[in-house]
Amino acid sequence: MKVKRLAISEDGFIFDPTTGNSFTTNETGLFILQLLKEGKSPEEIVRELVNQYDVDEQEAERDVLDFMEKLRRYKLL
Amino acid sequence: MKEIIVGVSGINAVDNPGPGIGVARSLKEDKGLDVRIVGLAYDAMEPGIYMDWLIDKSFIMPYPSAGHDAYISRLLYIKESYGLDFVLPTLDAELPLYIKYAPELERNGIKTFLPTLEQFKLRSKDRLEEVAREIGMKFPKTRVVSSYQQLRDAVEEIGLPVMVKGIFYGAEKAYTVQEAIAHFNKIASQWGFPIIVQEMVSGEEVNVVGAGDGEGGHLGLFAIKKLWITSLGKIWTGVSIKNDALLEFADKFVSTYRWRGGFELECIAKDDEIYLIEINPRFPAWVYFATGSGLNIPANVLRRALEMDYEVKDYEAGRLYVRYTYELVTDMEKLHYMTTKGEA
Repeated sequence: MKVKRLAISEDGFIFDPTTGNSFTTNETGLFILQLLKEGKSPEEIVRELVNQYDVDEQEAERDVLDFMEKLRRYKLL
Repeated sequence: MKEIIVGVSGINAVDNPGPGIGVARSLKEDKGLDVRIVGLAYDAMEPGIYMDWLIDKSFIMPYPSAGHDAYISRLLYIKESYGLDFVLPTLDAELPLYIKYAPELERNGIKTFLPTLEQFKLRSKDRLEEVAREIGMKFPKTRVVSSYQQLRDAVEEIGLPVMVKGIFYGAEKAYTVQEAIAHFNKIASQWGFPIIVQEMVSGEEVNVVGAGDGEGGHLGLFAIKKLWITSLGKIWTGVSIKNDALLEFADKFVSTYRWRGGFELECIAKDDEIYLIEINPRFPAWVYFATGSGLNIPANVLRRALEMDYEVKDYEAGRLYVRYTYELVTDMEKLHYMTTKGEA
């Protein structure tokens, strides 16, 4: 999984050591990315988001899927 | 520690920089070597001449086109008057001459560590497909043309847009047949025939600098992505990368051809495929990037040539390379002597 190779800093700076591309993300993106890196499934990430933030399951699911789509577009997933 | 006097060319640290300053700086930074650098310049204005913390002494050289007698006798004069143990030429135009006369230089006590003429010829763009196939890389569709009709046929076959290139130098993008014809004329008048028409591959531009030991082993491989380039296409900011596939291709290039000396592979990474775009049979101008990241490839070449120990060190991905402009102010003395005596 490509996401495992990413260097992710605590403030949301992401570096892909294979391509040399770098990106920034916000706190939520960082939260999702860390969990993806740990190998968590989208369903598990949605549950963690609902537990951690003031967000309902539907919105969290939409955010996770949107974010994962963005990662795919940038070839990070 | 025995002092080693090394001649380095390409000390034109200008907007289209030669690799000489990066090479000289790398050799000076090897604490296990006592290196004195002789700058081999083609113009009294080459900035390296004035960078006395890197270049200890400079000489004006005749152009390689002046031929064997003028060029080699100049090197022998340097050997006799100042000392010269090793020469590391960094410019494409010099290499055929150095390769051809390397045995004569060696007999006179001047060592080199260069590709063979056969290896040097692999850089020709009409050999790109052959090399890429041999080492398992992708390559852009390439046609060699010498007439308008062949050019039109090639464009039709490859499909627009295309790159129009000289066999060794010059590259232009063409989005229409008319543009392709204009570039064909311009490159042919500047660099001659044949002309190369190449598929334009879009993706991430990634490069490798390396060196081979001439027996199939490498003396260091270092991969980068250019983050920012000048209007001349020269790197200004870059980042080191660890792309295993790219480094494996470079390793295979070295082992397959038993490459000797420095080289650069210019590639494009598109999805998970890597295309070979160009082979340069010498160090690139950004070679110090590897040295600054802990892998001193020019020093390894010198050490290998002189049968000294060397170490191929690992490096980290994510090291940042930033060029900058800076000025020095000095007196006229060096310019004076470079102009009147050809050395300073």
